[in-house]
Amino acid sequence: MVPTRDEILASIRELGPEESQEEIRLDSRLVEDLDLDSVGLLTLAVEVEDRFRICLDPEDEDGIRTVGDLVGVVEEKLRE
Amino acid sequence: MSEAPATDPGDAEGATLWRWLERAAEIPAAGVRLLDRRESERWLPWQEVLERARAVGLGLRELETRPGDRIALVFPTGAEFLAAFFGALAAGAVPVPLYPPNRLGRLDEYRGRTTRMLRAARTTLVLSDARIHGALEKTAVEAGVRLGGLRLADLPSAERPSRGASSPSPSGPGDLALVQFSSGTTAAPKPVALSHRAVTAQVRLLSRFWPDSGETTHSGVSWLPLYHDMGLIGAVFSALERPGVVTLLTPEAFLARPALWLRAISDYRATISPAPDFGYHHCLDRVRDRELDGVDLSSWTVALDGAETVSADLLRAFADRFRPRGFTSRSLTPVYGLAEATLAVTFSPPREPWRSLVVDREALAAEGRVRPTRPGGREREVVSVGRPLPGFEVEVRNDGEALPEDRVGRLWIRGPSLMEGYLHRPDLTAKHLVRGWLDTGDLGFLHGGDLFVTGRAKDVVVVRGRNHDPQEIEAALRDLPGARPGSAIAVSRPRDRGGEGLLLLLEHHRKTSADERRALPRAARAAVLERIGVSPDVVEVLPPATLPRTSSGKLRRGEALTRWTTGRLRSRDRAEPPRTEIQGTRSTADGEGP
Repeated sequence: MVPTRDEILASIRELGPEESQEEIRLDSRLVEDLDLDSVGLLTLAVEVEDRFRICLDPEDEDGIRTVGDLVGVVEEKLRE
Repeated sequence: MSEAPATDPGDAEGATLWRWLERAAEIPAAGVRLLDRRESERWLPWQEVLERARAVGLGLRELETRPGDRIALVFPTGAEFLAAFFGALAAGAVPVPLYPPNRLGRLDEYRGRTTRMLRAARTTLVLSDARIHGALEKTAVEAGVRLGGLRLADLPSAERPSRGASSPSPSGPGDLALVQFSSGTTAAPKPVALSHRAVTAQVRLLSRFWPDSGETTHSGVSWLPLYHDMGLIGAVFSALERPGVVTLLTPEAFLARPALWLRAISDYRATISPAPDFGYHHCLDRVRDRELDGVDLSSWTVALDGAETVSADLLRAFADRFRPRGFTSRSLTPVYGLAEATLAVTFSPPREPWRSLVVDREALAAEGRVRPTRPGGREREVVSVGRPLPGFEVEVRNDGEALPEDRVGRLWIRGPSLMEGYLHRPDLTAKHLVRGWLDTGDLGFLHGGDLFVTGRAKDVVVVRGRNHDPQEIEAALRDLPGARPGSAIAVSRPRDRGGEGLLLLLEHHRKTSADERRALPRAARAAVLERIGVSPDVVEVLPPATLPRTSSGKLRRGEALTRWTTGRLRSRDRAEPPRTEIQGTRSTADGEGP
């Protein structure tokens, strides 16, 4: 499922010029490391939903703290 | 200040939202246009809203909800929300719109806040959509909600068409039309109870500001959430009253892609569209020029700006940026209002240039007086939010006594759309509603008949007997190198030996080096001293995303102070020698300012 991972990383990079220069790793935390505020998190959720044509509900999103968590949830949705 | 004339459309005396819906349903061309983030539209005539609402109302009656029961509604912007809102009214119940969970947010915090609101309004039922339901089902039970949580689609007979099956709504003008929560109060939420009389009076006042004429039929575009007064009452109910068309985007669509807002205004030739200061700022920040191909904003004659302190610099920047797209500065219309007054209290005259006043900052802070600036003195530009709506009065008071023009005091208001009170809180109500006047808790002054709001009374930072607005101090820190923009809090903190001092809490950017972090307190101190003329007692530099915020991202100053005082909000750099507190004490000693 490597394409998913790369595409999610690309989504995060597209969020803003600042983020794009930073190394984004699977264990990067969305808030603490990548500095996403509530609007940044919302934008990321929307980008990921549109890119993969999935719909995340609040319970899917609840445990997501890192990029890796998000990749995991998206991969799971794509398998459904 | 005359009452609405008897010929006023909408049956002024006996008006309720339900009667307005029945009337609007007779006009096939009137309704709600729902836009999703791919810009595909769904047309929802008021007729369809009425039919679905009747079905929901029957379902609620079958569940044995009683007239006056509060029903919490947790939906994204869409047809289901409208069916649930008017369905609750059809059953004689009182809708309580609440916000859905933040995207990628923490559900435990969301559930905690929602529980407090469900309890405060003593709701009997939580209705939501299929997506949100799972997150709230247990919360509803734990909050003691009698009928628990249900999906709208699970209501008995909710999806059955119900043409003709219409028992009339039992609500009259004096009954509650909705409960909305006062802003900025997540710790102890205050449920504001509004009657049909108040809501319909407010909407009629708004409509008079943009009468249709031979050449103009007004229509609105709004991305504001429907659990917020500006979105629900200002945008949706205005269209219902007219009856006309309103185009709704979800807040999510706007936040992720703010250009969608401007494109919708252009595509549908909208004349009225509201936003708080933040919305205009978000456009400057995030709209790219290539997203505006073909966009023409010349139809947008009423760009309402309210709900937050209005910034003159921002108004100018917005007008400059979008002038090439046909936007005119005179469309910007600063307004003032609050949930307790249903929505608006004062309005700038539409289609006239917005006004501001540049005053002496020292005199404003120290004496609460409006004085012209002195050469070399610091100045402050305050934007006029216009004049009271017809039937409204604004009084500036100090210790209960009315002040003349050009004196800063607490704003008290009187008018036809004040709340009935805080639901189940006679103690709070008695404090804020006194002999027909409402204490807004805001500070401001009158000048030439115009109202100028300078801040919130309870957030005032008092330093050496001078009142300062925290927003202003925080704005002075916005562009500090190494600081995270918009992530600073200024509060008063009681000193050990009496008096109050200024405490600054600011987050550093995640890429800030240790050296830069150590330099931040000095830079912050210098910026505040230079711009505001106050020397902070303590500057605490914190890691990113540590300051407490509300669900909508607003900083929670009171909570931050509590956490700091109890040692739960401190710098990671504690062990490193130049302690910020030591620097702070030194500056205070010689900190009389330049």
